[in-house]
Amino acid sequence: MKFLKKIFDSKRKHFAQGGRFEKLHPIFEATETFFFIPGIVTKNDAHVRDSLDLKRLMSMVIIALIPPLFFGIYNTGFQSNIASGLPVTFIAVSLKGLRIVLPVIIVSYVVGFLWEILFASIRKHSISEGFLVTGLLFPLTLPPTIPLWQVALGISFGVVIGKELFGGTGRNFLNPALTGRAFLFFAYPIKMTGETVWTVVSNVNSSGVDTFSGATPLAVSAVQGTASFIESLLAKAGFTFPKLFFGLYPGSIGGTSTLMCLIGACLLIFTGIASYRIMIGGVLGVLVAAYPGYIMSLVSGNSTVPMLALYPLYHLVMGGFAFGITYMATDPVSAPGMNAAKWIYGFAIGFLTVLIRIFNPAFPEGVMLAILFMNLFSPLLDYFEIHFRLKKRVPNV
Amino acid sequence: MISIRTKKGYKLNIAGEPSHELEQLGKPTSVALLPERIPFVKPRLKVKVADQVKVGSPVFEDKRNPDLVFLSPGGGRITKIDFGPRRVIKEIVVELDQDEGYETFPIFNEAQVENIERQMLVKAIMTGGLWPLFRELPFRDIAAPDSIPPSIIVSLDANEPFQPMPEVYLKGKIELFEFGIKILQKLSEKLFISTSQNRSFILDQLNSYVTHICERVYPADDPGVLLYHIKKSFDENRAWYISGQDVLLLAMLFKTGKYPVERTVVIGGTLVRGKKHLLTRIGAPLSHLTKGRTDKTEKARYIVGGIFKGYKGGKDSYMGFYEKSLVLIPEGGEKEFLGFARPGFNKPSRSRAFLSFLNTSAFPMHCNCHGEERACINCGFCAQVCPVDILPQFTYKCILVDEIEEAIDHGLLDCVECGLCTYVCPSKLELCNVMKNTKKACYLEQL
Repeated sequence: MKFLKKIFDSKRKHFAQGGRFEKLHPIFEATETFFFIPGIVTKNDAHVRDSLDLKRLMSMVIIALIPPLFFGIYNTGFQSNIASGLPVTFIAVSLKGLRIVLPVIIVSYVVGFLWEILFASIRKHSISEGFLVTGLLFPLTLPPTIPLWQVALGISFGVVIGKELFGGTGRNFLNPALTGRAFLFFAYPIKMTGETVWTVVSNVNSSGVDTFSGATPLAVSAVQGTASFIESLLAKAGFTFPKLFFGLYPGSIGGTSTLMCLIGACLLIFTGIASYRIMIGGVLGVLVAAYPGYIMSLVSGNSTVPMLALYPLYHLVMGGFAFGITYMATDPVSAPGMNAAKWIYGFAIGFLTVLIRIFNPAFPEGVMLAILFMNLFSPLLDYFEIHFRLKKRVPNV
Repeated sequence: MISIRTKKGYKLNIAGEPSHELEQLGKPTSVALLPERIPFVKPRLKVKVADQVKVGSPVFEDKRNPDLVFLSPGGGRITKIDFGPRRVIKEIVVELDQDEGYETFPIFNEAQVENIERQMLVKAIMTGGLWPLFRELPFRDIAAPDSIPPSIIVSLDANEPFQPMPEVYLKGKIELFEFGIKILQKLSEKLFISTSQNRSFILDQLNSYVTHICERVYPADDPGVLLYHIKKSFDENRAWYISGQDVLLLAMLFKTGKYPVERTVVIGGTLVRGKKHLLTRIGAPLSHLTKGRTDKTEKARYIVGGIFKGYKGGKDSYMGFYEKSLVLIPEGGEKEFLGFARPGFNKPSRSRAFLSFLNTSAFPMHCNCHGEERACINCGFCAQVCPVDILPQFTYKCILVDEIEEAIDHGLLDCVECGLCTYVCPSKLELCNVMKNTKKACYLEQL
């Protein structure tokens, strides 16, 4: 510790104004503040400050992301080994998962940080901690087969267009990680959708490949022209409710397990860092949107839109809804700041997710679009709530 | 009695709580006036260095209203007039004589106060030098003597850490306080006196006077918070307030005919030994209060007036006219290795992001910011604590883009300058300071 302090103290002059690496000062500062909380003292009142800073806040989100991350690594390896006919022992699976997921995360962090450093040194401000979360969220939403150059491209788009163009962390109106994903989704649909992208198949033992079907539960549910109940269809494809809940099925790296997201959500809500209003609102939105269709299809017994017949709770555990509503929708910068607005925002995300899933089979994953769409509306929601609230105030001029 | 429920606010659990014991301090060698710390005043000096003054001699007046005089809290010789940048008068130091002389003021008994005209009463308080004790909301300037306030608020509570407890400064002075109340009743028809539920001493002794019961959370005791919760229309905004202890001064002036200089001050904070209430006088030197109570090992910050609202005082400076609290806590400034990753059992935080939420003991605190300034991420913690329901995160942005009208619509002028938004901000923004300065600028523009 003393040793580190000495290193920083001796190198500081090179990065200070007029030093050799003046332009790289943000890197130096970011590294130093990573190891040491700076000893800045209050200049005026209030003389004492809360211990919580942005670094701690963002690290809590990272900690909340650990369950989906670890599970995602395991699941990716597991699916890959099953599909490739390789042994599925814990160690083999975890190593395989690491080999697939780690490069994606590393590329995301490295490329993203390069952009952050570039913008920070041009703008002469320090590197914000917000990227720590974006850089991990983004890879977790991707399919495991994603080519690394696309990861680099996606995170670049997310950081530059989604955030830095608007002034950096705190000033972006879209969630940068989702912006990056949406870019990849529309620019390279072949690598982002379909049946084959969700599992990495290594051709070691080809006998396993024949039996492998990569359809996601969302794709199964969207199959047209069947009168039978969709759950049985899902069950036939191997997607029972518990399986969907626990998440051991092919899908995006971190988004399959509802259970893991639930653990993360509990931590975020308990620490007060993410808004429970958005999360609960989102769940309500899903149920409210899904139940009428379900009841209708129960009554009529037949439906032209098969997904209407899906038991509504399935919507909560399928696809990336749990991951999206826990980690993406609650990003405080792009979500509304007012309490009622948060309820509406969360509710609308859940509602839209289901609508997109049911009525727009071209986009099986509705939650990404729903969140980005509601991101656009959150300033408006805030505006209306503030307006309404100020009317009740006794004016003071 | 009306109960006021404050849903917001925050109770800071900070170590260094002073005891309720009251110690009478001896006479200091010098006292001082600090015009710099009196809000909005434009002082014009009436004395020179080496002049001889008595207790109650005018030392300076306000250029805005020459009838508003500030009197010497000590009898002796003016030894120093200290100017700061731009000729602001920082300190006027009076070296005390062995036998201090007193200026005399008219004495009033209760019947006389009962029958006196309001105008005469105002004049008596002004010549007695105690008019500055009345402050006017929302800008907290000294009250305008020729106006009639919609109400006067007296707060008998001390929720900011380390403020004098009303049980201590009112002990044995209930009658004096009642006399002070009579004076206030003459000044305004509506008089609001607030205290909190568990101050049984006050509730027993002054039951007939207390009008509002506040909650025991900072800053529910602030007159601005009380006003925010009870006002029905905008013409109640310009209420006056006076602190409970200052009501005693008012009464003393009228009872004794001398300029009162007695003050109960609290000395607290982790760097102080023997934290307690001290009976001393207005303008006492800080060193007089801390004598024999500090160790010189750690660098201390001298906070005059309270952890949240006070200012940084020099070791050799003096207590101000309004300030009733002196807090010594470590200056801090050490870098902390991997601080963000530690479990944080003893890191005080309003959030539950540290394990300190399991720890209910009082935390020693220092003046570290615990992080660097970042952009606002709209986390809304500030709005969760703001006692007057301002949305500091939005109001702050309004101010930054010069939308002052919108900021005022948001309730900027209701801001009680409690500093809680600044305290909780994880981006370490100076929210309260920005709002305070904007309020000040608004006021100066109105003048």
